[in-house]
Amino acid sequence: MTAPNPRIVAKGVCKSFAAPVLRDVGLEIPPGCIHGLVGENGAGKTTLAKIIVGLEGADAGSLLLDGQPYRPTNTADSLGAGVAICAQELSLVDDLSIAENILLHISTSSWARIRRNSTHEKAWTLLDLVGLESANSRSRVGKLSLAEKQLVEIAKTLATDAKLLVLDEPTSALTAPQAERLHGILRDKARDGVTVIYISHRLGDVLNVCDRVSVLRDGKVRLTEDCGALSEKALIREMAGADADFEAPRRSAESPAPLHLSVDGLRTSKLPHAINFNCRRGELLGIAGLAGSGRTELLNAIFGLDKRLAGSVKIHEDGRTTEVRNPRQAIRCGIGLVAEDRSRDGVFRDQTLGFNVTVAGLGRISDRTGRLVRSKEASAVGKLIDALRVRSNGVHQKMRELSGGNQQKSMLARWLHCGSRLLLLDEPTRGVDVAAKLAIHEELVRLRNSGITVIAVSSELEELQSLCDRILVLSKRVLVAEFHRSDWSQQEILAAAFSEYAREDEPTSVAVP
Amino acid sequence: MTLERRHLAIETGFRVIRVLEDNLIFVSLLAIVAFFGVISDSFLSLTTLSTLFNQLPALTVVSIGMTLVLISGGIDLSVGSVVALSAGVIGAGISLFGLPLPLAACLGILAGALAGLANGGLGAYLRLPIFIVTLGMLEVARGLAYLVTDSQTVYIGAKIQAFAIPWGGSGVSASILVALTLVVAFEFLLRSTIFGRQIVAVGSNESAAEISGIDPRRVRCTVLVISGLLAGLGGLMNAAYLGSADPNAGIGLELSAIAAAVIGGTSLMGGRGSVIGAFVGVLIVSVLQIGLAQIGITEPTKRVITGAVIILAVILDRWRA
Repeated sequence: MTAPNPRIVAKGVCKSFAAPVLRDVGLEIPPGCIHGLVGENGAGKTTLAKIIVGLEGADAGSLLLDGQPYRPTNTADSLGAGVAICAQELSLVDDLSIAENILLHISTSSWARIRRNSTHEKAWTLLDLVGLESANSRSRVGKLSLAEKQLVEIAKTLATDAKLLVLDEPTSALTAPQAERLHGILRDKARDGVTVIYISHRLGDVLNVCDRVSVLRDGKVRLTEDCGALSEKALIREMAGADADFEAPRRSAESPAPLHLSVDGLRTSKLPHAINFNCRRGELLGIAGLAGSGRTELLNAIFGLDKRLAGSVKIHEDGRTTEVRNPRQAIRCGIGLVAEDRSRDGVFRDQTLGFNVTVAGLGRISDRTGRLVRSKEASAVGKLIDALRVRSNGVHQKMRELSGGNQQKSMLARWLHCGSRLLLLDEPTRGVDVAAKLAIHEELVRLRNSGITVIAVSSELEELQSLCDRILVLSKRVLVAEFHRSDWSQQEILAAAFSEYAREDEPTSVAVP
Repeated sequence: MTLERRHLAIETGFRVIRVLEDNLIFVSLLAIVAFFGVISDSFLSLTTLSTLFNQLPALTVVSIGMTLVLISGGIDLSVGSVVALSAGVIGAGISLFGLPLPLAACLGILAGALAGLANGGLGAYLRLPIFIVTLGMLEVARGLAYLVTDSQTVYIGAKIQAFAIPWGGSGVSASILVALTLVVAFEFLLRSTIFGRQIVAVGSNESAAEISGIDPRRVRCTVLVISGLLAGLGGLMNAAYLGSADPNAGIGLELSAIAAAVIGGTSLMGGRGSVIGAFVGVLIVSVLQIGLAQIGITEPTKRVITGAVIILAVILDRWRA
């Protein structure tokens, strides 16, 4: 190879949070190359991008930028070195104008005087470039739609004149023509020698715009090849991995159980397409889909957290049918929700383990007057933390002192305490270690066998495949497929998860709250 | 043998330190009392006690409400003005309209509860920032207090003072007994009832509380109503102590109540606090005021010292947590 010196080289990059996210990742990208990065949720794409721009530090390994050692510790470092990111989570200030947001990113000193006219001129050119003609550069970012915000974020990144651009899901909210326009800009940039790292779930886009593509799976680079030689199918196969068809046949033969939950024509502002499905008593139902495909929103809608625009959620029990309208009623109907973001929507970290377990079922540890009975509390909580093997120094230990896995088990304990018969679990094993994960899996199977219905969302297909009786697949907020244990393969499920994103003709409609 | 004994001594020492640490505010209160007792000959006397008991009731009941509101993650800046409004309603009711005392007292307390309901409705149900809502109520209630009293101190008379005058030489009045009972009752409410748990849950993590089936709006609104009601009772206590309704009563009382709650270990972030603690906080602030006055410290210096003690309490609290 007589190629010029690579723009960026990554060697042996490793990173762990609770579990390893990146393992010995190596990449080499020359100037003027658009390099795609694809993989399932949690494959490590975003983490790698964050390491390259200094938002995360690598545990091991090294980066070279134009042959020089490169170790950014924040985005100011990486910007100074000519590396800019267009992040997945938008980093715009709603109360500033479009122009000011762009300036915020490129101003050289915190004390530099803001020169209005020149700022607006530069912003105007860039907005023109990305196709935001209609927007006045002086209007407030808070008033823009999600797609427009994403375009501003892209313009902001382009404004830096960086030599290495990292784009993490830049087109997730864009329509096909808007995305195509961006791709044209990227090709122009590449011709000028700028290197682009392009992360996307839209495999068609990746094959269309990129020169080369790498597939990440379980934190490792599985494949790096020129795009010309690849098809979407080949990418999906590589993302799913060789062990894609593994089977965990440890279910007993299904006996027809009575209907427990029925969801009919359910729509919320975050789920614009009507959703229909049923769930039987004692079923372990999985919900698969890419990040942002509406999985969390579906659980929240069932639980009554989001306002329902149409349709119904009904619980069938003891010959009676109850419609679920809000969280308090959902709980009375025996539904429990373990939210994805445990620290935000789950634990009371400064309170005790006992408090956390009993909070949803205080009526069960009190007498008729509403007075709490300590002895009832201690025995109820003690039984549950023994049964679920929550490791703690007792019911009075502060929740924040417990490990992630034990916190998660006590979230299960909370719903078991108040007698839930239908558990909605959003990423029940996220951020817990391997041992705790196995323990939670065992517990879920045990609950299921005792007649409790479980609906679990997970980004790990293997997890759903080994646990569930049935898997529903969401793609871009549409319920696209249903797979039974007897007839699923990881490739089919993944293909279903990508299916709505592949339909270029339809503009992505993302509801703005 | 000696080694064992030394170990035992060290262990006992640690245990004593642990106990002192766990009960830091009680220890601080005792230390302050001891300090003034040593410095001033007249401090440990019945006069001091009755001065203390005169000041105590209104601030105590207001601080109970404030503590509950703070634990739920809110704040109530209007309590000082509500005290004046309630006193004004009672004074006007008796002197201008000739209402019987019990009825006037009930109306005063009711006025406080209504102010709390307005705070709760606007802050919890309309989701307006509670700081601003109660800041507005601070002005509104003060204005109403001036309106009902025609901006003048309304003389009520000896009848109402019976509530505040100590029995015999004991220094103990009906006022103080009511305040103490409420401290115990609300500590019980907070620690040992479903509603108390719900207050802590909402202040600790509102989103998690909602998912756990608690209605955060109802809880927030209820504690604000309780706070208004207790401020109304504070107005009755204030009028009883003075024998008249002063529209300027309770100015700055909200700050003293917040200070007492914080000294007592209540977190301004919500989710943590204690009513007993707030009462000890009230005692610390009051004893400090009286003690400093007795040893001849001037008013400006008193304020400097009291302010410093509040900040010190927060530092100690942070260091322990």
